[in-house]
Amino acid sequence: MSRPLEEILFGNPRPQAQAVTRAVSGIAAAMLLLLAAGVALRFHTAGQLDARFWEFFAWPTTWAFLAKGLLGTLASAAMAAAIALTLGLVLLLGRLAPLRLVRWPSVAVIEFLRGTPTLLLIYVCFLVLPQAGIKLSTYWMLTLPVGLSTAAVVAEVYRAGVLAVPRGQTDAARSVGMTEAQVFFLIVFPQALRYIVPALVAQLVIVVKDTTFGYVVTYGELMQNAKVLIANYHALVPVYLVVAMLYCLVNYAISSASKRLGGPMH
Amino acid sequence: MGEVFKLLADYGPAFGQALLLTWKLTALSFVPGFLLGIVVTVLRLLPLPPLRFVLTVYVEIFRNIPSVALLIFIVFALPDLKVLIDYEPSVVLTLTLVCSAFTADYLRAGINTVGGGQMEAALSLGLRPMRVITAVVLPQALRAVVQPLTSLLIALMLSTSLASQVPFPGRELTALVSKIATDSAAGIAAFAVAAAMYVATGLLIAWAGATLEKKVRILR
Amino acid sequence: MSIQSALKSTVVALAIVAAGPLFAQGTPINAAAFDALVAQGPVADAATIASSTWASKIKQAGLLRLGGTQTSNLFSLLNEKDGKMRGFDAGLAQLITRYILGDGAKIQFTQVTSSTREQVLINDQADMVLATYSITPARAEKISFAGPYYTSQAGVLVKANNKAIQSYNDLGGKKVATQAGSTGPAILAQFAPKAVVQEFQTHQEALDGLRQGRVDAYVTDYTLLLNALSLGAGDAQLAGAPFGAQDPYGIGLPKGSDGVAFINGFLKKVEADGTWAKLWSISIGQRTGSTAVPTPPALP
Repeated sequence: MSRPLEEILFGNPRPQAQAVTRAVSGIAAAMLLLLAAGVALRFHTAGQLDARFWEFFAWPTTWAFLAKGLLGTLASAAMAAAIALTLGLVLLLGRLAPLRLVRWPSVAVIEFLRGTPTLLLIYVCFLVLPQAGIKLSTYWMLTLPVGLSTAAVVAEVYRAGVLAVPRGQTDAARSVGMTEAQVFFLIVFPQALRYIVPALVAQLVIVVKDTTFGYVVTYGELMQNAKVLIANYHALVPVYLVVAMLYCLVNYAISSASKRLGGPMH
Repeated sequence: MGEVFKLLADYGPAFGQALLLTWKLTALSFVPGFLLGIVVTVLRLLPLPPLRFVLTVYVEIFRNIPSVALLIFIVFALPDLKVLIDYEPSVVLTLTLVCSAFTADYLRAGINTVGGGQMEAALSLGLRPMRVITAVVLPQALRAVVQPLTSLLIALMLSTSLASQVPFPGRELTALVSKIATDSAAGIAAFAVAAAMYVATGLLIAWAGATLEKKVRILR
Repeated sequence: MSIQSALKSTVVALAIVAAGPLFAQGTPINAAAFDALVAQGPVADAATIASSTWASKIKQAGLLRLGGTQTSNLFSLLNEKDGKMRGFDAGLAQLITRYILGDGAKIQFTQVTSSTREQVLINDQADMVLATYSITPARAEKISFAGPYYTSQAGVLVKANNKAIQSYNDLGGKKVATQAGSTGPAILAQFAPKAVVQEFQTHQEALDGLRQGRVDAYVTDYTLLLNALSLGAGDAQLAGAPFGAQDPYGIGLPKGSDGVAFINGFLKKVEADGTWAKLWSISIGQRTGSTAVPTPPALP
């Protein structure tokens, strides 16, 4: 499919169609502006545009405070992503192993970690493991469950990439006399990675989103600092709005970076 | 194992109700979310730049926002804008919005798999563009994205654990495990039961999705 | 528009901007007095610390891991501008830290909520919890309490124009907020069994719930309600007098810890030398308009 759908369906319009489209565009723009105005009006009548609710955003201390929270978020997310990428590879190798004794437990672990909510795993680290005597630090109570949960998904993403590598490559490598390990790590896996970079980055975004559950284990991150600001200034709407936007921006930046890394080679 | 049986004796009905609540929240969010996603996708196809821009922003926001941040905004901040939504509808609304954004994304990718030639043929037959979309493009696109939508449904089902974060009337599985773990020492058994229920539900959905996909997929 | 009116509007605008933070917080805490009070608190001698394994451990670590709250206006509020927490609970925590370590600032802080207070002690994520923590037999099974250091009865808070609720007797069938894991649910079960209870994780969220109309009333410790009134005069009012048993606030410690005796010794000291009373005045008394300093509760 060479031309995008919009071009096929709506490209080269007749002059009348062009005029109609422009008119409808104008109406749509007008209606959207009205909608935006309505929202702004609602903000105003609810008193949410008062200076006292927004002025503290002009102070650098506020942003420094939020930045500290964001650092907490990223510190946990980065480690969880590292765990997910490495453990995911281990699980993948187990999943692909020819030995049933290795394969079945790997499948079981993957299905188990994929099939349970991350929040539940976080509660387990916080409430259940201590009953069994395992007491992690606050940081790990958040990072470990998020890392484990994502590792299972990453393993499946890796697997999809590996399956997408043409069979011919594996056969050729084997015929040259490479060992299975060499075939996998030198030929198959690098090519698989190129197919799945967007999917992996999507997982990274999910990891960042999962860190917002930090308050469940009393880990200090962005949401926590937002609550302090709210307690100080009673500005629920502005603070939550700004924090939500910050999360969206961080995740959007991560996704955009992936798009720039490009797609598969062939 | 004995612990599990004791747990089921004490909390059996609670687990049953929690499971039903999880399923109910999943269904209540997926159906509107899915339909809304289709609407958003179709509207994004129209050659109306303002509309496309706004909807792209919509999709980007609800794809990237953490669900818990969205839920907290709806439950705690919206009332200050004089919009008071009860807890259960708030959870459903959060999941619906997120679901619609991801549906719109996957469906867009599905639309890209429909051959350009088909659309040109349909146009040359005299069909209007909207008709082409609804009669030719959408049906094939939907059939192409059964697998990602199945994953989305499973992810949505797991996201219902969000309900444990607001004063929800009634406990779903995660809230129930949290309560049992706080009140007693049967945390591990409770977690095992809840995990089994989640995994079983997920496998059921995955099996249903795979069966559906085999039936409707388009082999090109 | 004359220069006069332009000047007038500028002054008014500046006044609004300057008054902004004041309006939002009610009477802010006298930061200078608070900091000065904490800085002159007692410091334990080596023998006292050595007699307690709990205190010795903290002295060795050089840091006290505190579980508390940063969002409670009277008891512990974090000023994000200077990074300091101030309030009655915060003051006691800093005084205890100074007592053991010589410096009230050596605190590693963890934000806890009603549902995480016991768990952080069980998980060894914190050495002590100071967070308007009511002593109850159920909690005493999982953790140990030092103190009590404060008592308060329960009160009912309603919106200013609510004539339907005059006291806790009128709560039947109404939506009532309370803090999860606090004594609120038990008090409501005893005094207003027909109320529809909604449990919130923090005091702030419950207050917002009342303000936003999610609930008709909020039942919690009377002192917290006084604080709420000091913030938004005219928005809310107390319904009836304080009721129920005197709710003792304690300091949470790991189960069986000898820190209990240690902290009780500290509390006796600060109650005797007037520090407790001064702290109460600065954090609570001056900000809620109460002049009568209560007597600290008897220690076991």
